[in-house]
Amino acid sequence: MRKGTILLLLAAMAFAGVTCLSALGYASPQTNTLEPTDSGAPSAIVMFPLGEKPNPEASAMAPVAFNHLIHEKWMGKAGKDCIVCHHTGDPVACATCHTVQGSAEGGFVTLYTAMHAQKVAPRKEGTPASCVSCHNKQLANRNCAGCHKTLVKDKKVQNEAWCVVCHTKTPEMTKKQMEAGIAGKLPARQNEALAVKTALARKQADYWSPMKGPYKVVINELQGKYEPCVFNHRHHVASLMERIKDNKLAGAFHTDPATLCVTCHHNSPASVNPPKCVSCHSKTINPAEPDRPSLLAAYHLQCMSCHADMKVARPQKTDCTTCHKLRVQEGGK
Amino acid sequence: MNRRKFLAFLGTAGVTSAISTARVAEAAPHTFPYYENSFGVLHDVTRCIGCRRCEAACQEVNHLPMPDKPFTDLAVTETRRRTTAYAWTVVNKYEVNGQPFFRKLQCYHCNDPACAAACFAKCFQKLPNGAVVYDGSQCVGCRYCMVACPFYVPGFQYDLAWDPLVQKCTFCEKRLKEGKLPGCVEACPVDAITFGKRSDLIKIARARIAANPEKYVDYVYGETDAGGTAWMVLAPRAGAVENPPDDLAVTGSEFSQLGMDTHLGTQPMSEYTYGALGAVPMIVAFWPVVFGGAYAITKRREAMNKAAMEKVKQKAKDGIVEAIDAAVRKIEETEGPGAADRARKAMTEALKDHEQKDSGHGEE
Repeated sequence: MRKGTILLLLAAMAFAGVTCLSALGYASPQTNTLEPTDSGAPSAIVMFPLGEKPNPEASAMAPVAFNHLIHEKWMGKAGKDCIVCHHTGDPVACATCHTVQGSAEGGFVTLYTAMHAQKVAPRKEGTPASCVSCHNKQLANRNCAGCHKTLVKDKKVQNEAWCVVCHTKTPEMTKKQMEAGIAGKLPARQNEALAVKTALARKQADYWSPMKGPYKVVINELQGKYEPCVFNHRHHVASLMERIKDNKLAGAFHTDPATLCVTCHHNSPASVNPPKCVSCHSKTINPAEPDRPSLLAAYHLQCMSCHADMKVARPQKTDCTTCHKLRVQEGGK
Repeated sequence: MNRRKFLAFLGTAGVTSAISTARVAEAAPHTFPYYENSFGVLHDVTRCIGCRRCEAACQEVNHLPMPDKPFTDLAVTETRRRTTAYAWTVVNKYEVNGQPFFRKLQCYHCNDPACAAACFAKCFQKLPNGAVVYDGSQCVGCRYCMVACPFYVPGFQYDLAWDPLVQKCTFCEKRLKEGKLPGCVEACPVDAITFGKRSDLIKIARARIAANPEKYVDYVYGETDAGGTAWMVLAPRAGAVENPPDDLAVTGSEFSQLGMDTHLGTQPMSEYTYGALGAVPMIVAFWPVVFGGAYAITKRREAMNKAAMEKVKQKAKDGIVEAIDAAVRKIEETEGPGAADRARKAMTEALKDHEQKDSGHGEE
C-alpha cells in the first residue's frame, strides 16, 4: 500500500501541475478580440491614407492599425481628454479633414503632417498632438531620458524599423479591402476586425537577457590618480529593463533585442561582443577630429549624461571616488 | 611768405595728414591677421562639472605657485574669482535660470587682441597657431593691457618689488609646439573644453546646437564677439520648458547670467583706437616739420627785414654825417675853425639827442 500511496501522490502532483500550467495560459483561449472601449469608439482602427484623388491601384503607404483602446486607457490614466487628439472636439477620424493631399477643412494640414509633426505650433484654443509629437514627449520621461534625451537623437531612431512599427497590415487584408479602405468605403466592422488582428499580432520587445553580458567590467584602460573602475554591467542593464518593463510604448518601438545595448555601445552594429570604447576613443584627442571625445571624456560623458537625464541623484558629478577609488600610494592633491 | 601763402600751405599739410591717418585706420584689420589654421577651444558650459581639474593642470604644467586653498576644495567656485598673475584659469559657478552651471575663465586669445594693440612695448603677439603670447622683456609695467582687455584677463605680479610682469594664459604655447594639448584640455574629464582648429570648432558648436536645440542657446560666444576669439563658449538654455514652442521668447540672458559681456560688439577692441592711435606717428613725424619749417621761414624773414632796415638806417645816418661834414667845412671856410668846431659840436649833439629821442620812441 505504501507504494500505492506514493503513486497516488505522484499522480496528484502531476494533475496539479497540469492544472497550474493550463491555468497559466496553456489552455486559456487566445484572445482574438480587444475589449470594448469606454468611449464606445472601435477598439482598434485601420487608418487608411484617404485621399481625394482616385487611387485605383491602391498604391500607398501601408495603413496604420491604431490601437484605440490602449491609447484611450493611457489617456484616461494620464488624466487627459479625447480633445488632445480630437482637437476639434468632434470625435471623427483624422482623415475626415486631414487628407493625403490636404483639404480646406483641415487647414491644408496633410495627413502626413497631422500624424508626424514633431513640433506643433501652439494655439490659443489648445494645441493638438500628432502621433509623433506625443510619443516624443514621452521620451522626456526619466526612465526613457537616459538614452533618448541626449545620447540617441531622432535621426538615429527614426529609421525604417521605426516606420514599420505603426505602418503594418495583417496579411489577411486583401487588395480589395485595401482599395476600399483608401477610398473610405470599407465597412466599419471589417475595418475593426482587421485592425484588431494587426494590433494583436504586434509583438512586444524581447530584449537580450542581462545575463548575456558580463557581470562586472573592470575599466582599467586609464589609470593614474585612481584605481580602475569596477562597473557593474549586469546591474545597469537589468535596471534599464526593470524601468521599462511595463512600458508598452517602449516595448513596441524597441524592435531590436539589442536596443538597450546600443546607447552605450553606439556607432557599431549591435553585438554580444561590441568593440571596446578605446577602439574608437583614443587616450588623447586627435585635433583633426575634435568632436570625438578622448577616452577619459567618453567614459565620463556617457555615464554622467545618462545619470543626469535619468535623475540618478547619486553619485554627484564631482564625487570621483564613488566610482573609482583614489590610488593610495600617490595620495590626493 | 605772406599770410595767404602760409595759410594755404598749412591747409595742404592738414589735408595730407588727415588722408594718411584715414589710410592707417582702413588698414587696421591687417595689423593682426586672422590666421586660417589657428587653433581654438570650445567651452561647452553644459558639460562642465566644476571639478577644477583644469585649474590643477594649469598650475602643474605652468609651474605656478599652489593656491591657498587646495584644488580639491570645490566650494571656492561659489565666489566669482578672476584670473590673476598666478591663477591663469579659474572655474566659477553661475546660476543660469535658477540652475547651477560652471564656466571656465582664461585668456580668450582674441583674433585681434586688445592687449597687443594697447601695448606700446610690443610685448603681446598673436601667433599663427592662435595663441596670444606675452614677452615681458620689454614690459615697462604700465598695465595698459589689463585696462584694454575686454575680459579682464591679464594679471600683474603686484607682489614683486623688482621687475613685476603681466601674466596670463599662454594657450600652453610651448606644449602646442611639442604637439601636446593645453594642460587644461588634457585634464578635463568631460571634454567640456574641446581643442581643435577654430574653423572646425565653429562647425562643431553649430552641430551641437542643431542636435540639441532645447539644450543650448543658439549662439556661439566668441565667434564674432570682440572681433572673434580663439576660445569660444556655448551656453545652456536651462530652465526652458520641455519642447518649447517656437514663439516662446527665451530669455536670451544666459550669457549674461554666466557673467559674460554680451555687449562687446563684433569689432575688435583695437579697431576703436586704431584711427586715433594711427595718427600719432603722423603727428610725431609730420607736425614738427610743418610747424618747424613755418617757424624757420618766419624767423629768416624777420632777420632779412631787420638787416634791410639797418642798411637803410645806416645809409640815412651816413647821409646826415656827410651833410654835417659839408656844412662844417663851409663854416670853416667862411667863419674860421673856431666857429666850425662849435657848429660841429652843436650839430653832433643835436643828432645824438634826436637819435636818443628816436630810440626812446622805439622803446616805448
